Amino acid sequence: MIRTYSLNSRLLFLTFFFTFSLNLFAQTDGEQIFKTNCISCHTIGGGRLIGPDLEGVTAKRNADWLKQWINSSSDFIASGDADAIAIFEEYNKVAMTSFYFEDEDMDALLAYMENPPIEEKEVATTTAENDKGMSSSTILLLIAVFLFLLVYILTSIKNKLKTQLNQPTETLSETIINQGKAFLAESRNVAIVGFAVFIIVMKFTFDTLMGVGVTTNYQPEQPIAFSHKIHAGDNGIDCNYCHSSARSSKTSGIPSANVCMNCHANITSGTNTGTAEIQKIYDAIGYDPDTRTYIEGYEQQPIKWVRIHNLPDFAYFNHSQHVTVGKLECQECHGPVQEMDVVKQESLMTMGWCINCHRETEVKMEGNDYYTSMHEKMKEKYAGQKITVDKMGGLECGKCHY
Amino acid sequence: MTKAKKYWKGLAELNNDPIVEKLRQNEFVEEIPVDEFLGDKELSTTSTSRRDFLKFLGFSTAAATLAACETPINKAIPYVIKPEEITPGVANYYATTMYDGHDYASVLVKTREGRPIKIDANKSATNARIQASVLSLYDSSRLKNPMKGGVDTDWSTTDAEIIVKLNEIKSGGGKIAILSSTIISPSTTQLIADFSAAYGNVTHVQMDAVSYSGMLDANEASFGVRVLPTYHFDKAEVIVSFGADFLGNWLNADYAKQYVTARNPNSGKMAKHYQVESALSLTGSNADDRIQIKPSEQAGLLSNLYSALNGGTADSRIAKMANDLANNAGKSIVVCNSNDAEVQTLVNAINNTLGNYENTLSLSNPSYLRQGNDTEVSALIEEMNAGKIAALITYNVNPSYTLLDADGYNAGLKKVGLTIATSLYNDESAAKMMYACPDNHYLESWGDANPSNGVYTLMQPTISPLFKGRQFQESLMVWVGKSDYHTYLQNTYSSIDWNKSVHDGYFTQNQSAATVSSFTASVPSFDVVKADGIEFEMYEKISMGDGTQANNPWLQELPDPLSRACWDNYLTMSAATARDLGITNWNVSNGALNGNMVNITVNGTTLNNVPVMIQPGQAVGTIAMAVGYGRTAAGKCGDGIGFNAFALGNGTATIEVVGGEYEFAATQLHHTMMGREIVKETTLADFIKDPYSGNHQVTYATHNGKQPADKVTLWDKFDHSTGHFWNMSIDLTSCIGCSACVISCHAENNVPVVGKEEVRKSRDMHWIRIDRYFSSDMTKELSEAEKVSAIDMYAEMEEPSANPETVFQPVMCQHCSNAPCETVCPVAATSHGNEGQNHMAYNRCVGTRYCANNCPYKVRRFNWFQYSDNDKFDFNMNDDHGKMVLNPDVVVRSRGVMEKCSMCIQKIQEVKLDAKKAGKKVRDEDAQTACSSACPTNAIVFGDVNDDTHKIQALKKEERAYKLLEHLNTDPSVFYQTKIRNKA
Repeated sequence: MIRTYSLNSRLLFLTFFFTFSLNLFAQTDGEQIFKTNCISCHTIGGGRLIGPDLEGVTAKRNADWLKQWINSSSDFIASGDADAIAIFEEYNKVAMTSFYFEDEDMDALLAYMENPPIEEKEVATTTAENDKGMSSSTILLLIAVFLFLLVYILTSIKNKLKTQLNQPTETLSETIINQGKAFLAESRNVAIVGFAVFIIVMKFTFDTLMGVGVTTNYQPEQPIAFSHKIHAGDNGIDCNYCHSSARSSKTSGIPSANVCMNCHANITSGTNTGTAEIQKIYDAIGYDPDTRTYIEGYEQQPIKWVRIHNLPDFAYFNHSQHVTVGKLECQECHGPVQEMDVVKQESLMTMGWCINCHRETEVKMEGNDYYTSMHEKMKEKYAGQKITVDKMGGLECGKCHY
Repeated sequence: MTKAKKYWKGLAELNNDPIVEKLRQNEFVEEIPVDEFLGDKELSTTSTSRRDFLKFLGFSTAAATLAACETPINKAIPYVIKPEEITPGVANYYATTMYDGHDYASVLVKTREGRPIKIDANKSATNARIQASVLSLYDSSRLKNPMKGGVDTDWSTTDAEIIVKLNEIKSGGGKIAILSSTIISPSTTQLIADFSAAYGNVTHVQMDAVSYSGMLDANEASFGVRVLPTYHFDKAEVIVSFGADFLGNWLNADYAKQYVTARNPNSGKMAKHYQVESALSLTGSNADDRIQIKPSEQAGLLSNLYSALNGGTADSRIAKMANDLANNAGKSIVVCNSNDAEVQTLVNAINNTLGNYENTLSLSNPSYLRQGNDTEVSALIEEMNAGKIAALITYNVNPSYTLLDADGYNAGLKKVGLTIATSLYNDESAAKMMYACPDNHYLESWGDANPSNGVYTLMQPTISPLFKGRQFQESLMVWVGKSDYHTYLQNTYSSIDWNKSVHDGYFTQNQSAATVSSFTASVPSFDVVKADGIEFEMYEKISMGDGTQANNPWLQELPDPLSRACWDNYLTMSAATARDLGITNWNVSNGALNGNMVNITVNGTTLNNVPVMIQPGQAVGTIAMAVGYGRTAAGKCGDGIGFNAFALGNGTATIEVVGGEYEFAATQLHHTMMGREIVKETTLADFIKDPYSGNHQVTYATHNGKQPADKVTLWDKFDHSTGHFWNMSIDLTSCIGCSACVISCHAENNVPVVGKEEVRKSRDMHWIRIDRYFSSDMTKELSEAEKVSAIDMYAEMEEPSANPETVFQPVMCQHCSNAPCETVCPVAATSHGNEGQNHMAYNRCVGTRYCANNCPYKVRRFNWFQYSDNDKFDFNMNDDHGKMVLNPDVVVRSRGVMEKCSMCIQKIQEVKLDAKKAGKKVRDEDAQTACSSACPTNAIVFGDVNDDTHKIQALKKEERAYKLLEHLNTDPSVFYQTKIRNKA
């Protein structure tokens, strides 16, 4: 037992090692370097942020000049380079961070800035939408139109035949009414129709009642037009960076304004909304983006976000149980938040939805001493079965309602 | 034949009582309060017609339906700048010190998002009042603003005026007096010295509401030190207490823990405990031998005991005790509650003769918890009345309420030029003073304490001041032109690691104590006299103490462990005395208890219409009443409850029976077990011979021979073999009935307070109750021997003995494996968990109450009303401040649902989660319920029986372990340990 365990852990270590070294390797990729270090102050062709737009910068300045500036702009300025001083003056005398990159990293970065990838995303999404094809309602509509046409054609043919036979003709509506009457004249048909209507009404009622309090797709407007797509998607910020208490607490935690300021002390202008939305953070915390200082004695105002996922008070839910112990990804419940400009509730968040997951999810017991002895006994008891959450009492009332 | 038969509904009908005829006409016995629930007088004068009404009704229903379609928008408001140590949803714990002038404890405070919500023990045990003190923090009746002459003002004005006046007094050479509770804070003592230095003629007088002055004086006379000894009950083999309630209210909450350490039956040795008292105290109810005396006999008996130990003949009542003491010299303790220095000198002499000093009690390592001086207080009142005091500053005291000579004090107050009260409340005393300065609660304050020699505990704020209060120390500093008590406090202890000490809440440091001289006093001698007449004695209730926290609804609703009554104080009286006076207690139709009332006069003070509670165990010819009640300026919930026994003082009473009935709110109406084995008990000698003694299994005769209940069953055994199996063991030998667990449960589980009227209707909501049973003179064995008929036997069994043996039994939901409640719930709102608990899903409950009716333990509680946000239940849950004490992890139950003990499932889930996150097993010490963590004597032990590192596993296998109402085969997860008494 111990042997396998240590073998496992060794394997695990190797896996980690490779992932880690791959990351290191990827660091030499210019794009990575740019995204990690530069993107908070610069764009390439996206306009001026804190620092200048870097589109065509490699053409404007030679590589040596850029290297000196990037490695330590303050030293460079001190050396008396006229261009460097001019830029420093232009940008409110805010010195750029000194990076001191390795030569090979610097080359990769400059190569990236020279040939930035062309933004193709927009095009791609449009084609993707076209590929989706027709929605089911459109199909239904087309079928309905087709059927109506069919009835119309058949009625016309029938009328033509009747004119030939000198019989009185019927209009389309008369035909429908007469046929309907004939159909309903049979009591068996009435029963069938009545039953069908009853079923439909019941189904509708049931669905409506079951939908009470279910707020899937709830997508309220927030006080700040914060885009998860830009932060978590495009910039790849880990969810737990802002929602840090998800790992340790029952709440995932809405980040406090000081967490926003970790980045937005420097990033004063956003991709979608410019300075307007970011200014709201500054208004809350009391920050002057021009002088880059916190205002003394400012009366801070909390940001009143609209809560999207509202569990009722009688249901106890703990994020850390699911994130830290259960090792679930945030997206498994919250959907692809990294693709949402405005976040919406993706899942049902009903008790049935919770329970269903508890029935299907296997408990991740390996490597956690809490479970060790329990696991032994459970393996015996549920020989050959998966040990899912419900086998550990995950369906019991008292585990969530107290 | 049958026509001739007539059935009477009761004696009243047989006697042709006119009330019967009247009742027969009415369908409902009590008038239905239609006016109350439809009660708007404007309705009868309104011009709205029925038609209009229906129109409005239809419209508003439609409007409400439409409005309901809109989902309410919930806001999530994060911190702007999150404090580093706070993670929303995760509790923080801070070590601090609880001291309110009466109770002292080193405690651990649980805070959530910056709000203290629960008190746990840190370095010392807690009692009910200490546990409840967290609610007193959120009391909206606290003094919120500085007041001048009853009008709100602000600090700058107050300070400026006070400083000017103090300086005037200083220049005029006037005398300033500071009257405070016992000060155990060395830095405060230092500050008072600074204040004295600044203003010259300053005198500091300390007073205790319940005075220990006699004992302090006696120690000064006997040993030359005016301090109290520290006691070590754990080292004693014979404990003799003359009236001292050391398990409940006497001195220090830690003694209970020591006491049970000395009385562990599994070690084969239990300290023998004698209690000599008149009123039945909590300590007396735990004694092996209890001797009933009149208070006037105390001095004589002590004198007799002293002479017996020195070769004289002992009084027959105490001969055995004297013998035991003599045989355990150096291993015994004699304590006494008397406030008479001469009597206490006798006690000192006895302990000295026995060589107990520095063995079981120590004066060289003294306790500083009580330093009040009655002589100085009297002198101060005299000086005040003589106009010799120019300014009086009070701190943490309520002399107008607690002093016997309150009138003298009040009169003297009028002759003092400048009177300043620093107080949490605008109480009886503060309201009479010129300035009332709001003090901070201990949870809002910095501070230190020196409870005994060399031991220091620190106080740190766990919340910003809720109101515009300022702690006394800070005020003193401001008045001498300084500020920042926090730094001052730190500078007091420059040699310690400050951060570590604040973190731990305590530190030890060498401290020089006054030199104790050898016993020199002349031993007074008293004759054993038995005075005629009824003697009155004050006592403290475990819930109310000296009444400091009278406005705390948890404490008001905490049933007294002995009388089981709450929201009241009353005269306790023995059945024999009551019979002589023609006083009775009786139960009315709904079971509630009523009693007669009397006028009582003691020391020239009369209290009118005081109810009498017949209390088994009360000595004949004596009566007693609890202090702490009869407050008039405590706040909305403590005012006007009971009578002020402080005003009477001990002494001979004159009783006059008056008409009228008094309605008590008692939570237990039965006194005895009626011969059933609810609490199993045996004696130490029998237990040593046979560990199963007193705990023989119930068996049923079957075709397979006699079988225990769990073998005769329809149920399939619940499989608890995998995962946790949470169990609880309650040792009835260690349970002293102190009720700390009840308050701890209140705080942890958001248990509502329902008020006296509802308790009277048996609708109290406590999840844990402490049943108290008295022994009866009649037993089944006796009835067989004396051939008493069954009817007579049961009738006599109902009557408790005059000096009964008492047992306490905490009962909460037993979490049965074969739970009777689960099978009858029509909506499956209560169900069994695989970890041994019986779950209760409030949101599923529809309130049929079948479960409560089917529960043999009667532990389920029904929410007859909405107890939160309801003006009819104007307690902490109907108050914005009071609600801050609620535990955010536990639902506040709404009207119409059943609730009960959950075995603190929120705590279990939390420790499990913490263990999972840490990748470790759940540790025994972490697995605690609110009751088990609060228990000062470790009588309640909780843990996982499937884990062999948990103590509970061994406890379940003990010979003493038994399950309550075992014959029903409910197979509870809670089990009890037989009570063992150390008597023949």
